[in-house]
Amino acid sequence: MGVVNIGQPLAKERQCLRRAGWLAAASDLLWIPQAGLIAFALGVLLTSLHAVPEETFAIASVSGPALVCVTGLVLLAILRVVLQGLGADMARQAAQSLQSRARAQLLTAAAQASPAADFPSSGAFAAHVTEQVDHLGPYYRNFFPQVLRLKIVPLAIVLATAWFSWLAALILLVCGPLIPVFMALIGMKAKAASADQQEELTRLSGTLLDRIRGLETLELFGALDRTREDIAAAGERFRLGTMRVLRIAFLSSTVLELFSALGIAFCAVFVGFSLLGDLSIGAWGAPLGYAPGLFILLLAPEFFAPLRAYAAAYHDRAAGLAAQENLSRILKECRPGGSSPAREGDESAVTARKCPGLPAIEVKAATLLLGGQTVFKDFNLLIEPGETILLTGASSSGKTSLIDSLLGFHRLEQGEIRIGGVSPQQAGPDLLQTICWLGQAPRLFHGSLKANLLKGATRPETVTEADLWRALALAGATDLVARLPRGLATPVGEDGFGLSVGEIRRIALARAALRTDAAILLADEPTAALDEDTAADVIAGLAKLSRSRTTVIATHDPAVLSLPGRIIDLNTLEPALAGVRS
Amino acid sequence: MRAVWQIIRAQYRHDKSFFLLGVLVSMIPAAAGLLLLGVSGWFITAAAVAGLSGSFLNIFAPSAIIRALAIARTGGRYGERVLTHDATFRFLSDLRNRIFSTMSANGQRGARSGKLLNRLTLDIAALDTLYLRLVVPGVVAAVLALSLAVWWSTITLPVLAVGSLFICAWLGVFAFSLSRADRKTARRADAALEAMRLRTTDLVAGRRDLAIYGGLDAAARTVLAAEERLQAAETLEDRRALKLGAASGLIGQLFLAASLAVVVWSALAGHFSAAFAVALVLVAMALPETIGLLVTGLNRLPRIALAAGRSRQLMPEDGPAGPKPMVSDVKSSAGPPAVALSFQDVGFRYPGAARDVLNHFGFQLANGEVLAITGRSGCGKSTVAALAARLIVPGRGRILLNGQDLETFPDANLRSRVSVLGQRPYLFNDTVAANLRIARPDADANWLWEALEKASLADRIRSAPLGLDTVMGEGGLGLSGGEQRRLALARAFLTRPDLFILDEMTEGLDAETAAAVLERFFAFRGEASVLMITHKQREAAHADRCLHLTENPSI
Repeated sequence: MGVVNIGQPLAKERQCLRRAGWLAAASDLLWIPQAGLIAFALGVLLTSLHAVPEETFAIASVSGPALVCVTGLVLLAILRVVLQGLGADMARQAAQSLQSRARAQLLTAAAQASPAADFPSSGAFAAHVTEQVDHLGPYYRNFFPQVLRLKIVPLAIVLATAWFSWLAALILLVCGPLIPVFMALIGMKAKAASADQQEELTRLSGTLLDRIRGLETLELFGALDRTREDIAAAGERFRLGTMRVLRIAFLSSTVLELFSALGIAFCAVFVGFSLLGDLSIGAWGAPLGYAPGLFILLLAPEFFAPLRAYAAAYHDRAAGLAAQENLSRILKECRPGGSSPAREGDESAVTARKCPGLPAIEVKAATLLLGGQTVFKDFNLLIEPGETILLTGASSSGKTSLIDSLLGFHRLEQGEIRIGGVSPQQAGPDLLQTICWLGQAPRLFHGSLKANLLKGATRPETVTEADLWRALALAGATDLVARLPRGLATPVGEDGFGLSVGEIRRIALARAALRTDAAILLADEPTAALDEDTAADVIAGLAKLSRSRTTVIATHDPAVLSLPGRIIDLNTLEPALAGVRS
Repeated sequence: MRAVWQIIRAQYRHDKSFFLLGVLVSMIPAAAGLLLLGVSGWFITAAAVAGLSGSFLNIFAPSAIIRALAIARTGGRYGERVLTHDATFRFLSDLRNRIFSTMSANGQRGARSGKLLNRLTLDIAALDTLYLRLVVPGVVAAVLALSLAVWWSTITLPVLAVGSLFICAWLGVFAFSLSRADRKTARRADAALEAMRLRTTDLVAGRRDLAIYGGLDAAARTVLAAEERLQAAETLEDRRALKLGAASGLIGQLFLAASLAVVVWSALAGHFSAAFAVALVLVAMALPETIGLLVTGLNRLPRIALAAGRSRQLMPEDGPAGPKPMVSDVKSSAGPPAVALSFQDVGFRYPGAARDVLNHFGFQLANGEVLAITGRSGCGKSTVAALAARLIVPGRGRILLNGQDLETFPDANLRSRVSVLGQRPYLFNDTVAANLRIARPDADANWLWEALEKASLADRIRSAPLGLDTVMGEGGLGLSGGEQRRLALARAFLTRPDLFILDEMTEGLDAETAAAVLERFFAFRGEASVLMITHKQREAAHADRCLHLTENPSI
């Protein structure tokens, strides 16, 4: 499959980012005329104070140019700020659209993968959608424009300096490129160490959360004090490790500081000695004047500024590149090679579904391979309209895989499945809309209980409060909801009111019951891990739901198997009757 | 915003000398930076004057000063970074410990939402901004500005006026940004990010459910809708940040221009020399950088305030967390009393609940007896278990363990007498050995293997390449539900309690596994009494006696 492309800028965004870099560079370059104006004004001042004997004449000759200089300075300042703002905003927009696209890519992958396929854990995936994509922002908006700035600004400043003095330019040229060399030397060591440290922080945070989640267990074993000491020790270890990394990292920025301070100091000394007349080389022909000397001194810090900004944003680059790698890895995991796409493009025969009455389900010579293992082979099953099939067999005998195949979540190796004459893969979401389904581990979603129930209804806007209570009654969940503090408005989910496994199962059954127009009922181990009372509620509900539907229930619970219907044991299939398992 | 102050104060109290030292050392590079440019400007101008007039200039003093300042700036910056970061990390590490301590104090469990916990570590990590980006640059900028103002006041009035004007402008802009801190947008961005995370988690974990109920594409669209809200909020935040940065930058530039004007004018009027004038201009040029350091911190403040508020909720109130009442005079029971556990007229109501879960509830558990308490969910069975394990204390009535009030047992003593096996044993993301040693830190490997043997899990662990050192959880040893329950059983076998409390121990296990776990337990429980909370016949069948709870029981 190769490298999955995610978190990369499009040509348009790349252009935006480049333009943002140009704007930032242009804003920096305007410092050259500003420095010129300052040097000129102060140069005029100096000459008037020390070279011209008549001071009265000086005031008029100085204040005029000084006023022009100050005005120019102000105008340029405004222009600089505007350019800088425009550039930053442009980079921000490009980064935002890039981040949006990366998120959409991830979510599309999640929505299109077959629900039965292996998928990264929800926590890891959510962390990628949120934090990892967040890391892309600073990389593109902070770091990217710096690259262009770094290429343009120092060069322009060296040229401007060289116009007046080749020696000062040489000083900058020597100090400048030395910086990256030293920083790279130190930075390489820091990078490896900081990657370790990042892992260590993740581990530390994980340990803290893990211990907090298990507080009750710790208390029950009287292990709280010991754990407190462990956590303190782990925190201290982490702090020492981090400081070790930072000491190296700070060393690299100190080298940068040192060279930039040295560069400025050398320039100041060179200019000072030239002006004293002790040094007559370095300029082109005539000795260096005061204003050009000051100009050189003013420019020197700006030569180093882009280098410092680049170094400061370097961290964003590392985080951004790591995020890019992580994102393309998780995107690859979302579409494992050779897995079945949930839907096929073939639009034909979708209309056949609209036939009135209950559909029949036909499984003809079906063979399913999952991860190279044969789940079932040449499997045949005909379910009459309205019939109830109770699917049984030891765990891993393929009950769940068969139900997934009926839902179109797996693609058959051979043979075909027809539901009401249509292949589930072709019908796609249209088919799923006509199915009542109760899974092995049903999941409710963040939101109110009512919102969760309404997900079952095909047309939620037509569902009345009475309909909801009827569905809850069918699932034996009336008492349970009545007991909740806010009834149907109770928020469900990690954050909300905690429901037990059995309660979730009953709510899920009510959700299924709200799909009143469904013609098919599929249930997968509906009573797994339920106590007898709750299981009885669920079975009674299923019995009612199955009455007017073509039904398949996978189970190994004897109580469920006592429902009226045809029992098919996947372990002891008679070849003539239903099919063959290899 | 109050939480921000509280966190800053907490860091100050945590280590005052470090806190202040960090700020003090940070002054050095900032001041040295200002002076370096000022002295350099003065030096070259004085050199030019000397060159023009041919007068003598002592070049050694200024060049020595320039050298010293360059070193002070470089070294000072290094020292500042190391010191301030170390101080911050010390504080954050202490904060983690304190939050854990607070949460482990009685009565803090269960009330915490998972959401708060999930963000806890991110929030704590975000708090480093407060000291590093707000307190330190803020104090440094304030001290420098004040010192400069004092210096300017000794020069001329116009210089002082211009300097003060621009410092006030900076102050005004920062105060404006502080007072109008956009907490609403920060909250909106925060909520959108959280919604994105929750909805993505829902989407991935519930793909089957969503494919059938509601649709996967629709769910993906709701995530993207949250993303859109996040971006809208972030755009607002970024625009504000840009504006504040631009305002601060513009003030700096205008300050430079104004300084140039006033300096030229004052020098012409003969108030000071040209060299001094240049020094003033260059100091004005260097000041904005120091002040601009505050901008990042100010821009992040609204978000940090939220993180501070959330962390603050988990932090102990000032002063040491109140220790649990402990009475150490437990009579060493010479002979075991006949009654192991007795509930006497116990009543309990959960905070905020409308009615009592238990009311006038009592029973006795004889020594060595196995008593099952049964009943439908919601009837208060688990409350009985929690009360007997002293995870909660009764509102009314008394609970006696070995004839003595449960509340008077010191924690360590109680925990060695009572062991609980729950329906959701928590296994830590740590090695098998570490998970077992929670029950008994001094257990050697032989003991651990013996316990695993009793729980019939030894073969499974032995087959893992790292044996007892295998790490549980992701990427490590993936134990099935039944195996996890057996590991918890092994953990319980490491203790030698007087009383076992089994709280729905085989919940969620299929019949075969449940039977195996139960059989193992009763084979090795020894002399201990057993209080079983269950709604399963298969468990209750092991009991000597059964107590059926109806709603609001009063037996």
